[in-house]
Amino acid sequence: MKEKDENIENLFGKLKNGQPFRVPEGYFETFAERLQVRIEEEELPTKKRTLFFYLKPALSMAASIALVMLLVYVPIKKFFPSTQGYLTQQKSTIDSVDKVSVLPVPVDLFSYFSESQFVSAVADMKVIDSETLSPDSLGDYIAANYTDFDIIANN
Amino acid sequence: MDSSEKELIANLKSPRHREKAFQLLVKTYQERLYWHVRKIVMNHDDADDILQNVYIKVWKNVDTFREDSTLFTWLFRIATNESLSFLQKQRRHPILSMNEVSDYLTDSLESDVYFDGDEIQKKLQLAIIKLPEKQRIVFNMKYFDEMKYEEMSEILKTSVGALKASFHFAVKKIEEYLDEDHK
Repeated sequence: MKEKDENIENLFGKLKNGQPFRVPEGYFETFAERLQVRIEEEELPTKKRTLFFYLKPALSMAASIALVMLLVYVPIKKFFPSTQGYLTQQKSTIDSVDKVSVLPVPVDLFSYFSESQFVSAVADMKVIDSETLSPDSLGDYIAANYTDFDIIANN
Repeated sequence: MDSSEKELIANLKSPRHREKAFQLLVKTYQERLYWHVRKIVMNHDDADDILQNVYIKVWKNVDTFREDSTLFTWLFRIATNESLSFLQKQRRHPILSMNEVSDYLTDSLESDVYFDGDEIQKKLQLAIIKLPEKQRIVFNMKYFDEMKYEEMSEILKTSVGALKASFHFAVKKIEEYLDEDHK
C-alpha cells in the first residue's frame, strides 16, 4: 500500500507543485473589503428592527379595524341620522320601564301626578260615543270576536 | 493553542475589539481556506461565495466557539461543511447524486476562466472529480495541502485509520482512471 502511494507521488510529483487554478487579480487584497460590505448588508435588516418593527402587526390590525369602522359608521350616520336618535329613545324607554317595574307595590299614582294633572288627563280621554254602540254593531262585534261556545260558557 | 491565538479569540469575543480581530482572522486564513474550498467546488465564483459565507458564519457565531479546537480547525470544518452543503444543493435527485455532482464539477472546471492547467493537470482534476466526496476531500487535503492525518481527523471528525484508507482508495482510483485514459 505504501509502495503504491509512493508510485502515485512519483507519477504526479511535478503536478503537485504546479497550481492549475488561479484567482482574479487583486482578489485576496480586496476580499476583506468585499466581505465587510456583505456583513453590513446582512446585518442591516436586524439593526432596523426597532420597537415599531415588533408593534407593526398589531398597529396594522388596529388601523384596519378603525378603517372598517369609519367606512361603516360614517355612511350609516350620514344616510340614517334618525337611527341613532331612535336607538337612544328606545334605550331610555326601556330604562324607564325598568325603573317602573322595580317600584314598590302598590303604586301611589298621586306621588307621580298632581290631582289637577290627573283630572285633565281623564277629561282628555276619548269618551265612547254611546250612539255608535247600536244593537246591530254590538251583534257584529260579538259575532266577530266570540264563538258560540264562549257565549254559552260565559252565561 | 498558542498565546497569540488565545488573544485573537479573546478579541473576537470582545465587542470592543471584535472588528479588528476579525479583519486579522480574515487576512490570516483567507488564502488557505480559499484553496481548500476551491479544490472541492472547482469554480472560482462558487469558491468566492462559499468563502464569504464561511466568514459570515464565523462572524455571527464566534461567541459560540468553545475553544476545544484551534481556530484553524474550526474554520476548516466550517469551510468543508459549507462546500459540501453547496454541492448538495446542486443535486436534484438523491439517487443520481454522485453523477450529478461529478457532472456539475466537470462543467464548472470546463467553464472556469481561472483554470490554467495543462492537459495532464486537467486529467488529474477530472480524475479527482470522479471520486466520492469524502475521498476527494481527503485526497486534496493530503496530496495538495500536505495536511497531517491528525489535523484532518479533527477537521473531518473521522479516525486516522479511516482517512488513510480513504486516501489509499482515492489514489488507486485516480491511478486506474489515468491508466484507462492512457490506453
